[in-house]
Amino acid sequence: MRIAARPLALLAPCLVVLACNWACADDRRASLQVAAGDEHAAEIYSHICQGCHMANGRGAVGAGHYPALAGDLTLVSWEYVGITILRGRKGMPAFGLSADEAKQTRSVHLDDAEVADLVNYLRRHFGNHYNSKVTARDIAGLPHPDADGEREL
Amino acid sequence: MGDDGNRSALSRRDLLRLIGATAGGSAMYQAMSSLGFAADSPYRGPISLSAAPRGASVLVLGAGVAGMTAALELRDAGYQVQVLEYNARAGGRNWTLRAGDRYTELGGLTQECRFDKDLYLNPGPWRIPHHHRGILSYARRFGVPLEAFVQVNYNAYLHNTKAFGGKPQRYREIKADYQGHVAELLAKATKQNELDEAVTTEDREKLLQSLRQWGALDKHHRYVASNESSMRRGWQTPRGGGLSARPTPSTPVELSDVLHSGLWASVANGDELDMQTALFQPVGGMGRIGEAFARELGSLIRYNAKVVDIRQDEHGVTATYEDAQSPGVTQTASADWCVCTIPLPILAQIPMNVGTPMALAIAAVPYASAVKVGLQFKRRFWEQDEQIYGGITYTDLPITNIGYPNTGYHGSGKGVVLGAYVWGRDAMEFTAMTPDERIQKTVEYGTQIHPQYPQEFDNGMAVAWHRSPFTMGCFGLWTEHSRATHYDNLCAFDNRIVLAGEHASFLGAWQEGGVTSALDAVTRLHARAVAQGERARGAQA
Repeated sequence: MRIAARPLALLAPCLVVLACNWACADDRRASLQVAAGDEHAAEIYSHICQGCHMANGRGAVGAGHYPALAGDLTLVSWEYVGITILRGRKGMPAFGLSADEAKQTRSVHLDDAEVADLVNYLRRHFGNHYNSKVTARDIAGLPHPDADGEREL
Repeated sequence: MGDDGNRSALSRRDLLRLIGATAGGSAMYQAMSSLGFAADSPYRGPISLSAAPRGASVLVLGAGVAGMTAALELRDAGYQVQVLEYNARAGGRNWTLRAGDRYTELGGLTQECRFDKDLYLNPGPWRIPHHHRGILSYARRFGVPLEAFVQVNYNAYLHNTKAFGGKPQRYREIKADYQGHVAELLAKATKQNELDEAVTTEDREKLLQSLRQWGALDKHHRYVASNESSMRRGWQTPRGGGLSARPTPSTPVELSDVLHSGLWASVANGDELDMQTALFQPVGGMGRIGEAFARELGSLIRYNAKVVDIRQDEHGVTATYEDAQSPGVTQTASADWCVCTIPLPILAQIPMNVGTPMALAIAAVPYASAVKVGLQFKRRFWEQDEQIYGGITYTDLPITNIGYPNTGYHGSGKGVVLGAYVWGRDAMEFTAMTPDERIQKTVEYGTQIHPQYPQEFDNGMAVAWHRSPFTMGCFGLWTEHSRATHYDNLCAFDNRIVLAGEHASFLGAWQEGGVTSALDAVTRLHARAVAQGERARGAQA
């Protein structure tokens, strides 16, 4: 089921629990005076994305690397970012999998509204200033993961 | 994928789950078997390659279990072998953290292991099933001593936060009650002739007999408080000696309570092919196997070598690498052939001139998220207070497992348990935390099962596999679709390059997958090298 609108009343109880569990996420949130979409995207980022892309969006380098989001030129294209989140890219998991596939891999899957929030968030944080905003409808128009699980190279 | 009905959102419930209010861990094993993990090993004894063509050489990338298996067998066949390894140690995911070890994860946070002497955490593999003959054969060959890994401990717990008021239940009680009630139901149906189509009159009596024995039923085929059932689930007043210890039977939990608890989901974990007794662990930690491999290969392994480019042409393969400790200055290593065991998320980023089928396959496999947390406690309270000697407690909390040490029983000093083995989305969340936060959450969750935690906790180590600089994930996560499309292309030779590792096996996440894929790869490599050698000689003649 897709959440088309996300009333704040629904979100609020989560935040209370979040504040107890994740001090760091809470600190970040306190400094953000943003719309609900950004707030939700910040939660997704701090609970999922930053595992690899790091809290500061600078990525990391080892035998391979996690790309930095700060100053990432590919962010100029919201389509590229959206497709990457939906379908995964190289080692990155897909977050737009079907319910079945996500269950099989015990992964997280985001709906189009959440992907839109996240795309907007990434393009306007970590020093990025791409201010055009996309909506769930825009994301719905992007290629989602195929049934055959094809990914982006 | 435009079908909204099939795609569920990160709902409020999901979010709550995400942040650890509730979670599910036991479905994991079912999911794993459906992904092709629960497969037997095809290993059928040591391979024996005939002599290598004169002067033939192989470059092995990665000194994990697969890479070192390949290197060892090829060296023994007479190939000139060189191994490049990113880490300053061998083993890869075959790895044990012990006192004094330092580990820096991606993002730069460093942990120093402050466990007591002889205590350890295996961040990667921790058990070897008896039928994983490949990895066991190398342990035997190297003289690595093994001891029993306890998978099923009847006195450990099954725990569901939403059942029995959140109180952990002993495995023995849930197993006995689940089995006993099911046996009683079947016996009833049999007696009422409801199974006539499936059971002949002749078999009927035998079935009833067997159900009585299987379920510990009384002579009326009921599963009730009785001597029979207490000999499975335990006594209310235990048996003992003298006048003070006459046993009284215990009362089983109702069928409905067992069913609603969901705890039955973990009862059969030890029946899975890869979890069946006997299982083993190397004495001193899983890393002993990797260390033994490394001793065997000696100077063939070049450490701190970060591969940045892989080129092949009609003559051979060249890897360009830089010193992982001082980037910038590159060197090259060349050979006739290359066995590449670099984990796919890293390999996908290294320029390499292979054809489209292999390139697509390399990019097709994301890696599973997993986190392991080791907790050192001031005393072995699980043994002293709860009589839990080794084995595993399963819980629906994000920590999913509590693994008790299968060694050092009755030690008077400290002890280290595996406090968390986190999977899937919960693991992504644990990965997003700092090591200290992961340890803190692990202690918090575990306190729901062992109230002694806060009092006895000493220190911990937390390894999130997506933060591992040398794998960028835990293991290759194939789906039915991706396997059907890409698996053969991943394993097939691309001119002079062949891949090996658990990702190139149907034994994903198991060391046996690494061993058997390496043996398969070097066998094919050898056949090619010999054939080419013969062609070359033919051309000269």
